[in-house]
Amino acid sequence: MSSFRKALKSRQRNHHERSQPGFRKNLGLLEKKKDYKLRADDYHKKQNTLAALRKKAQDKNPDEFYFKMINSQLEDGAHVVKRDKEEVEVTEEQKKVMRTQDIKYVEMKRVAEAKKIERLKGELHLLDADSKQKNKHTFFVNSKKEVASFDLADHLNTAPELVDRVYNRPTLETLETKVIQAAAETKSVKKLARQRRQQYKLLSQRIDREKKMFVISQKIQTRKDLQDKTMKVRVKKETPNAAAIYKFKTKRKR
Amino acid sequence: MRPGFSPRGDRGGRGGGFRGRGGGGFGDRGRGGFRGGRGGGFKSPDGGGFRGRGGGRGAPRGRGGPRGGRGGFGAGRKVLVEPHRHEGVFICRGKEDALVTKNMVVGESVYGEKRMSVEEGETKTEYRAWNPFRSKLAAAILGGIDQIHIKPGAKVMYLGAASGTTVSHVSDIVGPEGLVYAVEFSHRSGRDLLNVAKKRTNIIPIIEDARHPHKYRMLVGMVDVIFADVAQPDQTRIVALNAHNFLKNGGHFVISIKANCIDSTAAPEAVFASEVKKMSAENMKPQEQLTLEPYERDHAVVVGIYRPPPKAKN
Repeated sequence: MSSFRKALKSRQRNHHERSQPGFRKNLGLLEKKKDYKLRADDYHKKQNTLAALRKKAQDKNPDEFYFKMINSQLEDGAHVVKRDKEEVEVTEEQKKVMRTQDIKYVEMKRVAEAKKIERLKGELHLLDADSKQKNKHTFFVNSKKEVASFDLADHLNTAPELVDRVYNRPTLETLETKVIQAAAETKSVKKLARQRRQQYKLLSQRIDREKKMFVISQKIQTRKDLQDKTMKVRVKKETPNAAAIYKFKTKRKR
Repeated sequence: MRPGFSPRGDRGGRGGGFRGRGGGGFGDRGRGGFRGGRGGGFKSPDGGGFRGRGGGRGAPRGRGGPRGGRGGFGAGRKVLVEPHRHEGVFICRGKEDALVTKNMVVGESVYGEKRMSVEEGETKTEYRAWNPFRSKLAAAILGGIDQIHIKPGAKVMYLGAASGTTVSHVSDIVGPEGLVYAVEFSHRSGRDLLNVAKKRTNIIPIIEDARHPHKYRMLVGMVDVIFADVAQPDQTRIVALNAHNFLKNGGHFVISIKANCIDSTAAPEAVFASEVKKMSAENMKPQEQLTLEPYERDHAVVVGIYRPPPKAKN
């Protein structure tokens, strides 16, 4: 009998789920059972999760504590365990010491440079430097008439050509009676002048270097001072030629 | 003792302190060979006087003779020495570009300054660089001052001598005929001054307050010039006090003024003007005033005449 029933089934038309009729096409596809199933499963999963969380919250022990609670932190929405203290390669203490040593080294170099500058300045007196700052020479005379008839070369008793040669304006007597010692031929004079220019160049380079090193040591010092925990406000930004300026809250030191 | 200015001789155990004039050991060239004993010393014909006897005259270079300069002076190198407007001052132009004075004590630096020696035929002359960045007087000379009135044979009173660096150059200028009364109040720098004076007989050191000239009136005769670099608010008064006591009529004064020391709030020009006015009130007639610009900031040197002779009527 059963085989008969099976034979009948083979002739039977398959059941098909109803599809959207043609005149309702504009409303889109009709939902099928398998679609419904997906939707329902998803819904139930969410409901179950909510219920479970709700239950968990109700069951929560307020005294519960895990170290991860304090050892982790959010990074892009995910909890990441903080790095251990031991893992830091250079401690703050060490950093401070290194900075101090840096300052000391730069300072040592700067002082060496300053000494060399001092020695060079002892023998290079900017006699006829062009970019020299101008000084001011005032003569006090007795009457207005003398002011009107004042002639610098005459007053200084020197040759008019020498008036601008401020560092040495020999008097007429000196010009007549004295001679230049160890006067040499033009060639060696030129050579000496070249050497002198070289020395001045060296001096200006050293002065520049000393200035730069001063700025560097100031910047390192500022960075070191910033490690201090006292309140401070930046007054001036750091520039290539100067360290930043901070104002520190005054605090009584014990 | 200040660094960079230490007469090394007086350290115990080295040269046995000072042995009077010409004794060895008085700090000479700042490097090497303190008790060399190799140098010219005994044999050199000019041995007496300033040149030491034996020790102290290092000469590690084994050449002997008073060739100056820190790093030695090569044979081929030369310097030109031109006489300056002010007698006793020279300009040395070689590799260096320096104001110099003729060294009175050949072979000795006073404060580590550079020395240059020049040979002209047989005679050798040694010059010492005079740093205008340290000395107001040198700065004034290079600034082109008309008169310093300090010249060979002059009697000079120097107020505010400090360690005697500038004083040593003034003593070079006035030479053996002249005299420098160097007044300094501070004992500390006075000690250095004394050491300078030991080598230079024309310096008379006076460690006293320049405000009280009566304390040293027995030491000082009439002088031709007073130079003052005291940097005190009442410095004009101090100079006037000394001028009334020691400066001859028609003598001159040279005062270096640091504007900050007189009044740090006023403009420098105003300070200089007020000082000049004060001078006029004290019978000191200013003749010229010069600022020391590339070498010092807000400094001026005023030169003038004390009790000028009455004007000839015409």
